[in-house]
Amino acid sequence: MDFNLKKRARHDVKVEVISLEAKYPHNVMLYHYPPTEDIHIDEFEDLALERLRLLRVFDRATTKGLRIFSDDWKEYVNAEMTKDGLRGYLRMGMPSSGTKHEADVQMRRRDYLSHFILRLAYCRSEDLQRWFVAREMEFFKYKFAALSTAEIKMFLDANNFQIHPLTEEQKDEVKDGLYESTVGQSVSKIELLEFYKVPFTQVLDLVRTRRCYIKAGFAYVNTHDMVSIVGAKQLEEIELGMQAAKAFIADVEADERIARMIKSLHNSYTGKDYTVCRDESVPIESLDQLSKTSMPLCMRMCHEHIRSQHHIKHGGRMQYGLFLKGIGVTLEDSLRFWREEFTKKMDVDKFTRSYEYNIYHNYGKKGSMVNYTPYSCLKIIKEMAAPGDCHGCPYKTMDPTSLKAKLSAYGLSAGGIDEVMHFVSRNHYQFACGKYFMLTHNSTVEPTINHPNKYFEESQILMGNRQKRAPGPAPANNKLRTAIKGGANRSMLTGDDDDELWRIAETQEKVYQSQKGIAEAFDDDLDLTEIIE
Amino acid sequence: MPELNAEQETQPQATTESKAPAYDPNILPDMLPVYYRRLFPHEPFYRWLNYGHSEDNIFVNREISFTLQDDIYIRYLCFETQAELEKEICTRNPYKIDIGPVMNIRPKNFRSVAGGLTPVQRELVFDIDATDYDDIRNCCSGAEMCLKCWKFMMLAAKVLDVALREDFGFEHMLWIFSGRRGIHCWVCDHTARHLDARARAAVAEYLNILTYTNNVARVQIGDRTHHSLRRALKIVEPMFEEIILEDQNLFGSPKGVSKLLQMVSDEAARSNLEAYLQKSHEDGAHSKLIWESFVRYANSMRTSAANVWSRKLKHIVEEVQLCLLYPRLDINVTKGFNHLLKAPFCIHPATGKVCIPFSASAVGKFDPTTVPTISQLLQEINAYDDKTKSYMDAPEDKSRIKDYKKTSMFKGVVVFEEFLRKLERNFKTKSMDF
Repeated sequence: MDFNLKKRARHDVKVEVISLEAKYPHNVMLYHYPPTEDIHIDEFEDLALERLRLLRVFDRATTKGLRIFSDDWKEYVNAEMTKDGLRGYLRMGMPSSGTKHEADVQMRRRDYLSHFILRLAYCRSEDLQRWFVAREMEFFKYKFAALSTAEIKMFLDANNFQIHPLTEEQKDEVKDGLYESTVGQSVSKIELLEFYKVPFTQVLDLVRTRRCYIKAGFAYVNTHDMVSIVGAKQLEEIELGMQAAKAFIADVEADERIARMIKSLHNSYTGKDYTVCRDESVPIESLDQLSKTSMPLCMRMCHEHIRSQHHIKHGGRMQYGLFLKGIGVTLEDSLRFWREEFTKKMDVDKFTRSYEYNIYHNYGKKGSMVNYTPYSCLKIIKEMAAPGDCHGCPYKTMDPTSLKAKLSAYGLSAGGIDEVMHFVSRNHYQFACGKYFMLTHNSTVEPTINHPNKYFEESQILMGNRQKRAPGPAPANNKLRTAIKGGANRSMLTGDDDDELWRIAETQEKVYQSQKGIAEAFDDDLDLTEIIE
Repeated sequence: MPELNAEQETQPQATTESKAPAYDPNILPDMLPVYYRRLFPHEPFYRWLNYGHSEDNIFVNREISFTLQDDIYIRYLCFETQAELEKEICTRNPYKIDIGPVMNIRPKNFRSVAGGLTPVQRELVFDIDATDYDDIRNCCSGAEMCLKCWKFMMLAAKVLDVALREDFGFEHMLWIFSGRRGIHCWVCDHTARHLDARARAAVAEYLNILTYTNNVARVQIGDRTHHSLRRALKIVEPMFEEIILEDQNLFGSPKGVSKLLQMVSDEAARSNLEAYLQKSHEDGAHSKLIWESFVRYANSMRTSAANVWSRKLKHIVEEVQLCLLYPRLDINVTKGFNHLLKAPFCIHPATGKVCIPFSASAVGKFDPTTVPTISQLLQEINAYDDKTKSYMDAPEDKSRIKDYKKTSMFKGVVVFEEFLRKLERNFKTKSMDF
């Protein structure tokens, strides 16, 4: 993709002549040629965030442990897409009705462009890339599954797939193997199906799960499993594309507006906004009780740490302080809460000098005047907790023995602990948290936990203390935009000079904190340069 | 030439049987220099890793690592020539030599090159360790290994070898006894060496059928039996009685019976079966009786009516057999492109035994308990030297026969040479094609 607006201008005229229909002839395309049109930065960002929401739907489906393409999986994905306002993408996964709509063609364009935008954001590290490729492949298969036989044929022709079905004689030679080892088809169907012979390296997913017949390095794939062959090609295409993207990422990042966005994209929070609690206020007197009933483990541990140690390191103050703001603790209460605890170990003067600023700052009353967003699970899981810290996601940071002891101390039965640990051992921390929620609330519905404040809210709703709010669109979207435009209403994205103020305020705290801890302290929610590693 | 070799092979074995010296780990550092200078097959070893120089830098970019005394570990070594490798081995006398992947650059330059090392090719490797069979071995445990244990390894090698040949079309498998309790397989075909990480993972998972839930190993065959499992069953089934029921008498104790029960995944079916077995047998009944009852019960349940035994558990008998005797792979070794694996012909520091190649087709005849130790080998060449001294005075005469051919390590080297001969034939025909 070329971001140099001036140079491209001349070509544009030619591009415009080609109709969208000709440019994006199919719902399923191999993302081979990078798009060459110019788009407005707003659209660039819109597309990126929309696709991120899309991929996260697939991510959630995987985290839930749903088997890909099972009925549950499809149902879940479709429902989540509808909920997240992704109807356009949803339509791509439905069998086409025959009549062509302008909106569908527009959607193909969105799909195509947004894929290439996200390549830029996700070529930055191997972890990111792995996540992206896996999700993209799920989406690709999701789309491909909706194609009719005729459409598949068109697709194969359009993309130069040189694969031909076995002749009857060829099929006859291997028919015993086909009958034995073709999974998911009855014997009578296998007789009628067309089979393709491809090197086993082209259908690794079928090989891995022993779903097809393999002989002498060749896999025999039936029409229904064709998606594996095509998918392998798509995978190769994306991976090559990612390498290419990596090669010119430095040029792209010369444009700061884009650099900021793509660096922060993966961890940008696209769910509900908890920056300001709108409807409730929570008196600090109730915190002890609430910590037991409605706080997720990460916050409950912070709370108990403060109550017992009367101090908490910076990472914990950020994590817990912002959480408290999000559930509705007012600035005044917050100040009172921290002061009461901290002054048990230090004099009021020192507290005022060293810590008050942070609290004002969190509430957007000092320094950059940014009203900080409470940390999401993504952010918390990513935190590296050092010894003596109590922030971070306990399911990730605690060793299994202490975690079990903790859960048991919090009243989980041995069976319940096993259920939670089941997910912990598979690194599904959010799922473990959801299980913990179910067990502690005697709930049969498993909430999807992606934010501690969501946990709290769900808990309060379940206990009848709060009303369910209508899910609004994600305002994170808008914030990101203003930040990129560099407008006066600065958000979490722009934090550089703000960080300077932080630094000044923080120097006094060195007594309590190692150098490393301070360095970590400055990464606010969306400045996520560290994800590059 | 071969006739002469065969003759000499029998000779030293006869002498060692009379007084086989015990291996003492403390004097290993004193023995290694002699071993590396006189016995280690440097030339074939190099020929293997050079692959007929079929690709550029295939030898010189290969990562080799040495483990020296006191666990000093040197990584990222690489060598320009056979002579350099030989010299380095003979001066450092490593306790262990590991072989890593062929890298994009000389591995020793890993610090000075931007972007660092990227593996470009590597043999597809498999590692099977007898400790993974501990829960079903009654004869030994942990690092120990007897002839009964070896039968598990033998079956594993047979099943894996045929799968690699028939399903994946690989031909050049080098099978190695690791010197103590495990076996390694190096698949050296061009395609295998060039598989990417994802393909390795897929092959590993294709060949790994055991799943563990709560430390209970189970196998699920599914609706129809995949041809690879059917073939494995044909190999495993005839040995089941001998290994599991006779040698190990696995179900001969209440604990053993519970192992059998655990493999039944359906809870209700399991408790019914348990009740049935308890009713028909006393505690400690022989495995054969338990097994017969189990098979009878499963069959009659399956045929009597539509129930869980005729659906989910319809293959339970075969599943149990596979679960106990199908190769238990350490799939992480296979998946890793970067994984280092011990080179053949190393000396295992704990046992003193040579890490020696064996042939998968003759695996039944291989006996790990008689694999020579380094002490034994040194004694053998000494004995040979003494014997031949009288009529072989001139040193140049003596060097005409390779030293390892005078010892019981000879058979392993022959297997290795045979493997190399087939491998190299491949390169010759290939180069003529172009």
